[in-house]
Order: sequence, then C-alpha cells, then structure tokens
Amino acid sequence: MQRTGMLREDGIHVDMDHLKKGEVNLGTSIMAINFRDGVILGADSRTTTGAYIANRVTDKLTQVHDTIWCCRSGSAADTQAVADIVQYYLGMYGTTNNEAPTTQTAAALFQEICYENKDQLSAGMIIAGYDHRHGGQVYSIPLGGSLHKQSYAIGGSGSTYIYGYCDANWREEMTQEEGIDFVKGSLQEAIKWDGSSGGVIRMVVLTAKGAQRHLYLPDTGYKGPGEQ
Amino acid sequence: MPGFDFSNHNRNAALHAQGVPLPKATSTGTTIVGCLFDGGVVIAADTRATSGPIVADKNCEKLHYIAPQIWCAGAGTAADTEFTTALISSNLELHSLSTGRKPRVVTCMTLLKQHLFRYQGYIGAYLVVAGVDPTGSHLFTVHAHGSTDKLPYVTMGSGSLAAMSVFESSWKTGIDRDAAVKLCAEAIMAGIFNDLGSGSNVDVCVITADKTTLLRNYIKPNEREKKKRNYKFARGTTAVLNEKIITREQISKYITVHELEDETVTAAAEKMDVDT
Amino acid sequence: MAVSCTREVLLEELREAAVDVEARVAALQVEAWTRSSLQPRGGISRELCYDLSNSVFSPDGRNFQVEYAVKAVENGGTAIGIRCKDGVVLALEKLVSSKLLKPGANKRIATIDRNMGVVSAGLLPDGRHFTSRARDEAAQWRRMYKAPIPTSSLADRMGSYIQAYTLYNSVRPFGVTCIIAGWDSEAELAVDGQVGSGPTVGAGGKVDKMKHGGPFLYMIEPSGSYWGYYGAATGKGRQSAKSELEKLNLTEGTLSLEEGVKEAARIIYIAHEDSKDKDFELEMTWVSSLDGPTKGRHEEVPKKIREEAERLAKKALEDDDEEEEAKAEGGERMEE
Repeated sequence: MQRTGMLREDGIHVDMDHLKKGEVNLGTSIMAINFRDGVILGADSRTTTGAYIANRVTDKLTQVHDTIWCCRSGSAADTQAVADIVQYYLGMYGTTNNEAPTTQTAAALFQEICYENKDQLSAGMIIAGYDHRHGGQVYSIPLGGSLHKQSYAIGGSGSTYIYGYCDANWREEMTQEEGIDFVKGSLQEAIKWDGSSGGVIRMVVLTAKGAQRHLYLPDTGYKGPGEQ
Repeated sequence: MPGFDFSNHNRNAALHAQGVPLPKATSTGTTIVGCLFDGGVVIAADTRATSGPIVADKNCEKLHYIAPQIWCAGAGTAADTEFTTALISSNLELHSLSTGRKPRVVTCMTLLKQHLFRYQGYIGAYLVVAGVDPTGSHLFTVHAHGSTDKLPYVTMGSGSLAAMSVFESSWKTGIDRDAAVKLCAEAIMAGIFNDLGSGSNVDVCVITADKTTLLRNYIKPNEREKKKRNYKFARGTTAVLNEKIITREQISKYITVHELEDETVTAAAEKMDVDT
Repeated sequence: MAVSCTREVLLEELREAAVDVEARVAALQVEAWTRSSLQPRGGISRELCYDLSNSVFSPDGRNFQVEYAVKAVENGGTAIGIRCKDGVVLALEKLVSSKLLKPGANKRIATIDRNMGVVSAGLLPDGRHFTSRARDEAAQWRRMYKAPIPTSSLADRMGSYIQAYTLYNSVRPFGVTCIIAGWDSEAELAVDGQVGSGPTVGAGGKVDKMKHGGPFLYMIEPSGSYWGYYGAATGKGRQSAKSELEKLNLTEGTLSLEEGVKEAARIIYIAHEDSKDKDFELEMTWVSSLDGPTKGRHEEVPKKIREEAERLAKKALEDDDEEEEAKAEGGERMEE
C-alpha cells in the first residue's frame, strides 16, 4: 500500500513524489485569511502534470456552500472528489435541517474524509467560510488529516517561500483593501519563487454580503482587473 | 481449498522482483483537441493507433459517441477509452430516458470523473468531453485519475504540447465555426507531424445547437501514393528447367487415398433433419 | 435406523398437529368474519375489524392501533416540561408500584446528550427504547459533524422514527409520549478534535450580540407528530397540568429557571390530586444556559432545591384546600 510517510531507524521519511505516475498535480500556492468583515481566500492558477502545465487558468477556489469555500492543493482528482462529496453533504444538511451549515460543519466533514482516507489521498485543503453566528473562520487540513483553526492559513508547495513574508506582514483586524493587498503580496512572492505556482491570482471575499470573486492578471503586474 | 487462487500473483511478484518487466497495454500515442466557438463546440483527433513502436491501425476512430449532441475524444489506453465512453453513453441514455430531458455535458463529465476516480487511474482513459445541451456549449477535459478542467480550448495526449502551441499562438476570443474547425485541424496536424505517437488523418466533430456533424478523415495529409513500380512478375519470368507428372498409383506408395463418391456426400446430407 | 424412524414419526405427528391448528385458526377467522358481517352497519364490531393491524386504515381514516397507544400513554404518570427564559425543566410524577422499590432509585428521566434530556409517559420499556435510539441519533450526529445535535434536529429524527412504527403491520406503535428538553449552546463551539482556536481578537466580522441557541422543548406523540412547546404535559394528569401551565404565561418568556422548577413541582403535585390513593415520587431535571446553574448541561435538580420546591408545592395545595373550605363555608353563610 502506498503511504505518505514511513518510519525507519533513522527517522521519519516522507516521500515527496508520492503522486501516482501521470497524475495531475496542483503544485500550488493557496491561502485564506480572516479580516475585519469576513474572510478572503486566494490561490494561483497553475496545474501541472510533471513538467507540463496542464491548465494555466485553473480555479482552485471551490464553493461547497453559499458562503463556505475551500482552497485545494495536492492531487487535482483527489481534492475535486473530496470537495464534491462535501458539497453534497452540505447541500443535504441545508435542506434537511432548514438551516445553513456553519463553517465548523464543513471543516468537520472535510477533516473526516481526509483523515479516514489518508493513505489513499494526497489532499491539502484550506476551508474558509462566513456565517452570521461565527463571522469569518479559517480552518486548515494538511496531509495527515488534522484540523487547525487559524487566523490565516497558507498551503501548497509555494507556501514554504512565504512563511517569513506572511509572519512579517500579518495583522489582525485588517480592512478589506489591506486584506486583499496582504493575500496578493504573499501569492506574488510564492509565484515568484515557486516553479510549480504561477498564472493568475484568484481570490474570493466572503462577508455578510455574500461571496465576491476577484481576479488579478500577471500581464498588468497583478494590478487588475480586480472585482469580477 | 475453495476460493480464489492467488498463485499467479505470487509468480508475477517473483518474476517482477527478478527484473521481468510487466506487460504493456496498447496505449494510443495521440493528439486530441477541442475548441469552443460562438454557438457550438468542435473536437478533433488524429487516427493513429500504436502498440509500442508498431503502428497498429493507420485510420482508427478516436471520436466517440456519447449522446447525439455530446461527443468524446479519447487518448490513453485504447480499450479503456472505448469501453468507458460506451458505458457512460449507455448510462447517460438511460438517465435521459428516465428524466425525459436531453442529457447535459456536465452530467456526462461527472459520471466520467466519478467512474475514473473510483478506479484510481487504473482505467487509463484521458478524455476531451464536448457537447451542446439546453444550458449551452461546454468543453471539458477528464484525466484518468478523475480530475477535470473547464477551458475554452483544450489538448490532450502525447501530441498535446504540439497542438497547444497552435492554440496558444492562434486562438482568439469570439472565434466562429469555420475558424474553430480550421484551428482544431491545424492543431491535430501539428501533432501528426511533430509527435511520433500521432499520425495519419484528421477526424473532426462539430456540435451546434441544431446538429452534430462528424467529419471523418476531414484532412488526409498522409495519403499513400501509388507505387512507382509493380512487384508482380510477368508470366514466364521464371524458366522451367524440367517437368514430372506423378500419378495416383505412384503417390499411393506413400499415403492412403480414398475416393469420395459424390453420392455418399449427398446421402449424408439428406439424413439430417431440417425444420421446414 | 431407530433414530430416523422416531424422527419421522415425530415429524408426521407435528405435521398433523399443524394442520389441526391451521384448521382451527381458519375456523375462528371465518367465525369472526361472519359475526362481524352480521352486525348492523356502523356497529362497534364493524370498526373493530380495522383495529387489529397497524397498516390498515378504518373507512373513516383512523388508525386504531395508534389511538390505543395514546390510551396507554394516558394511563402513565404525569410528565411535564417547562421552557423558561434561561433553561428548561422536566418533571415527572413517578408512581411507586411497590413499597419494596428503593426510593430515589430507578430514574425515569434520561440524558440524551450532554445538553439534552427526555422524559416519557406510558409504557416504561418503550420509553427506554426511545431513549436508546435518541442517544444513538445524537452520537451519530456527533460522529458526522463533530458537534452536538440541535434539539430541533433530534426531535425531527425521533419523530420520523416513531412514525415508522405506525406503518408496518409487523410492529406496534410506541406506547409513549416523550418530552425532549435541550439547551443549544449560545457560545462558539469548537469542532471536536480541532487544534488551535483561530484569531485572538475579532472573530472575522462576527455580529455582536447575535443570539443563537437557547432553550428548546419538544413533545412527540405515538403517531410520530411532534411540536415545539413553551409548556408540555402528558400522562394521566395532563389536563389539570395543562391548565396550570397556561396560567404561567410562558409565551412572554419571563419565567426564570428557578421559578420554573418550583412551578413544575407544584403542577405535578396538582396533577397527582386525582390519583391521591397512589404513592409517587417527584423526579425533576433541568438544563440551563452556560452561565446558569447547570452550565449548559442536562442534570438532575439538586436534592436541596427539589425538596424546597416540594415543600412549597405541598403548602400551595394546603392553602388551596383551606381557601376552598372557606369559600364553601362562606356559601353556607350566605344562605343563612
């Protein structure tokens, strides 16, 4: 059986090339942050198969309920399948309980699937949502299937390059503009240093008003066009 | 002991450990493409099927019927693309019959991705799904592991790099039908001429809201020329050095000869009862 | 050989006996049918034909088995629930069936999840099965969503479960009416097993003082129908209990949990008046808000508080009696 890591006498070995041969990979930079009025999700748009870019305008920000979204990293097939299943469950939850699911509910479902199938999956996900009860929330589910509630979360291969940037520039209670600049600045750095990340920067802003998409193109130095 | 016999698995594992490579399935080195245009969608494919270094079929069909207005171009393992598209076509028709609606392209794409994801990439089908349904024209790619993409123009197979270069340099927004067909054909030709796994002719399928047009062998850039010379030898080319006639009596020395009478043959046939 | 012989003989005897039984059953059935068809139209016996099976309607659209189940409930000890502004009280008139039972043992009000309780009136084992199923539902919800089940969802699921027992002729309906009390947490609940707690300041656009959760009270009947209540009563003394509950003006949402406990005890004592000859124990549980006495948990009302409530209840009854006596005397005087 394929495993994501193994223990030998000299320590834990993690196989970084554990994707199946020819599998589509989201060598990725993704993130989600809390700001004053809600949350912002952000992602690059590069999908690769080996050295080839299979899609240069990928949408890695996936809606699973009205104001609950996720950022996908890892295997494209695995993360799409997981997101599809959670989307189905949340839809059922909404109709059977006459009440929209909370971000916690979504995070719990994602975590259960990622943890129970951790030997089969390579999926690193960030879940962010807005609801009137809890406001904006950000949860991160890394490879092993643990669940972390965070002020902001970064993920994917490109995230390794921006831990310093994010730590230096992060502030609680940012305005929407400040939040967008923070996400954009971070992802620009990630795209700059990570070969597996690139293309456009996509964002989703989740507030009491609902979901709003943003797009920033490399042609204009990621300045616009902005709100979609 | 009753039950399954796993001894072949142990044998194969032992052979594999000794360095014997696993047998390879027929994989079609392929170029397939698709492109949306104003009012419809077009997909195209080359027609070469390979089996290792051998060209197994010079004019095979890689455009598969799913529904009247939904077609698939397949790359990867030939048998897998053939059977997967046939299965999903069947399921989609049953679904369409029970709902009383025309099948939708997203439904087809979802069925395909869920089927392929279940088999974790062991079904080696890489597909371009295209079609027109009441919600509009759609174009998707589906990879063997179950991931999907939605783009205005797509390429797949070993010739996808060559084909993509054509799209990336020539594709424009708001392209019309004829330009889309031409662009797709050119992309396939790029695959045919620059990719070893692709070759022979160009098949095109154009789907609009009104009708589907399959243009089989739309372009034949590799028509076999008439041979300059003929290898048939004229009568009398070979000289007769000597001649000998062997009679039945003579051959009976070596073998037994039975005379079959016409009558016995017909009698045997007459004995058979035949319903009238 | 001998063994098989005996067996064959035995089997044959059994077969004959079976045929005999079948014949007698058939005869009885024919007799029953003839008798019922001979009855005048609209007679009681005609309707009785439709009360033997669960899955059969009577011509005027009634399911008799369900109605008989309600009768079973009406014989049980009175159970009530009061939804107060900061919590819910459940109270039960537990009739003591034997002097040999240990006082205070054999609790009848059960806890479903940490924040939720249930009391039932009617057939005891049916109530126990209801509780068991409710616990399973709550646990299943927790496994799936890593959070406690909302009271409304539990009531909905249990309603569906009870309803299923009115559909099939291989089962009988539940002989209980159950009252569910719960407090849905007003606080932000962490996902079970999550690591970390997010930002320390400003929970990303949370609306201040946005109210969520609170006290909830539901009652489920043998038919499977259920409603949300301010005050619910079932069992033998439900009529007097209901009229007392109505006097409390619960819809205003001003009654506090402390007062609610006292009222609950008083109402049970009043409801017991009609069956004074039997001994009973008062069983009471409550569930409060996070800053209330039970900190959002469903618990038994502490002995001290319950005894005080019982003292007041007895006193109120005595006062009533005196008043009535006075009235009666007064009436006599008027006549003079």
